[in-house]
Amino acid sequence: MIDGKVRTGVRGLDKMLHGGLVPHRPYIVSGPPGSGKTVLSMQFLLEGVEGGERCLFVALEEPPNEIKINVRSFRWNSDDIEMLDANSDIRRFEPTPVIEISTESEPARMRELDDRIRKTPDFESHEVTVHSLQQLLKNLFIKRRYDRVVIDSMTALRYFCMREFEETITTQSFMRFLAESKVTSLLTVELPEEGEVPPEAFLARGEVRLHKLRDETGIKRFVSVEKYKGSSHDEFVYPFEIGASGIVVHSGENGPAPDASETPPA
Amino acid sequence: MDRVSTGVAGVDAMLHGGLIPRRPYVVSGPTGSGKTIFAMHFLATGLAKGEPCLMVTLDEPPNEVKANVAAFGWNLDRLKILDATPDIKAHKRQRSVIDVGTTLEVRDMEDVGEIRQSSQIRALEVSVHGVQKMLKQEFFQRLERTKERYTRIVVDSLTALKMFSMQGEDSRIMIQSFLRFLSELEATCVIVSERLHPGVLETEFFLARGEIRLHKWLEGNVIRRAASIEKFRGSSFDDRIRPMKISDVGITVDKEGSVTFLGKRSTQVGEQFLEQRVVEEVSAVIDRVYRSLEEAHKLRVNVADVENVLSRAMLHLHRRNYQKALKAALHAQNLAAQRMDEYRKGHGLPPPPPPPPPPPPMGGKP
Repeated sequence: MIDGKVRTGVRGLDKMLHGGLVPHRPYIVSGPPGSGKTVLSMQFLLEGVEGGERCLFVALEEPPNEIKINVRSFRWNSDDIEMLDANSDIRRFEPTPVIEISTESEPARMRELDDRIRKTPDFESHEVTVHSLQQLLKNLFIKRRYDRVVIDSMTALRYFCMREFEETITTQSFMRFLAESKVTSLLTVELPEEGEVPPEAFLARGEVRLHKLRDETGIKRFVSVEKYKGSSHDEFVYPFEIGASGIVVHSGENGPAPDASETPPA
Repeated sequence: MDRVSTGVAGVDAMLHGGLIPRRPYVVSGPTGSGKTIFAMHFLATGLAKGEPCLMVTLDEPPNEVKANVAAFGWNLDRLKILDATPDIKAHKRQRSVIDVGTTLEVRDMEDVGEIRQSSQIRALEVSVHGVQKMLKQEFFQRLERTKERYTRIVVDSLTALKMFSMQGEDSRIMIQSFLRFLSELEATCVIVSERLHPGVLETEFFLARGEIRLHKWLEGNVIRRAASIEKFRGSSFDDRIRPMKISDVGITVDKEGSVTFLGKRSTQVGEQFLEQRVVEEVSAVIDRVYRSLEEAHKLRVNVADVENVLSRAMLHLHRRNYQKALKAALHAQNLAAQRMDEYRKGHGLPPPPPPPPPPPPMGGKP
């Protein structure tokens, strides 16, 4: 750790953040679908488990079994990451009991995850609300200390779990809860391809934004640090790639890309 | 990992082997870009392999779907089809509105004849709930009857389902639930969806595990087509836009071809936001180099090479080749600094004062 900062697990990004993240605060990772937010947040947790920290992934978008299969291709040792399945069940239409996600639910370690999707039980339906999730996390944090937490994604939390809540205030209060729990957390936020930035972005202490730009030669990926309270950071937009070992940010010394020292004509 | 073929060889190649099984995917594109044909390719391939396939049609009545793909010569007789196109709305006060889930039956494609006539007394209304119930029933009946699971399901289209049948419901939660439902069936699903507003983040696009986007634009008076993979979880993929044709064999995608946009770009590749920012950033660097060049000229320092690199940066910027432009601009900046250093050393001048903090290159934060 440099200056007591928390490493993100992506070296180039740590450099952009001038060492890493200030601990115990919530941060946003934003970007359009398919820009690499989940991969980045897995690398953040992986860095933690490798250093012996306790890490929790809260899955709201994808079933955990699929995440497990997806990260296989990276050959990471993600076995010790704990995974909390916060995907809501299929909604009931008949008046059957709707059970808020049990505050007794326990996360499972990646290695213990089932390969098949969890099925909605026939006679009851678990529904995740922001309230029940917060309660559940609170209980977990009392039981044991987590160093790193990922919420994937805040957009899903806002879209699907705040039916009866005012969205912006609730989001703010959820982030406040994470900050008070003294965990360093990454919250992913989906961005539309064009248009406005969702309100979550304004509430966090820092935002790492992933960009996806398409041209004739394929998808170009860029990363920028949009804001970072309490620390200096790099102002440039740097290219990155998702390779066989995950995200690699090219924030080399000489410019934005490793081959930036383009030879000038004689 | 085993993969599921989409039925279009070029797209399979772009997906580096095909779709990852038992997950929902979205195929998107403007009207007439070939989404339904693509979905039918997916089903026809499954049928050819003897897999049980199911199609839920909400946009077009089954008889029209059948007629539209007849030209491609596929054998779709064994395709199960659920007609969930809503009835003509009766404008008189209805005595009873019947939900699609309770009356309709899944038919074989070969039995599809005329358009279903709206009932005179009871209008059929389509709801997500109804479609879901119907699908579930059919799925488990099939499992009981033949011990077979449906392995491929197409929903054409989710846009219609959203528009017709989610009035009064919270559509995000309905779609989340519907996609969860499809995931739990453990079939590979292709969901047809029109991207209505690029500025709105629609639920199915971020919940689906992948998006195949079909493009269509006009070049002169010729319609051009292309396909691209926008997102594909759990796999690498070809990230270029590849040219696509619709002919009498259906969709073909040239997995090696490249697309040039000569005419108006109507591909909605949503890049204005980033483009603007990169342009601002490159311009900021170029401005700074210009300022140091002026200084150099005053001191008669030879900066011909800097000017050279800078002009290349501007050329790249002009051609919208932002990455190269940025690289060249930064290179010019370093080079200019270097020349000035050499000059100062050569004249025994003290090193330059620390440069003022560079202006934020983003041109103001949001």
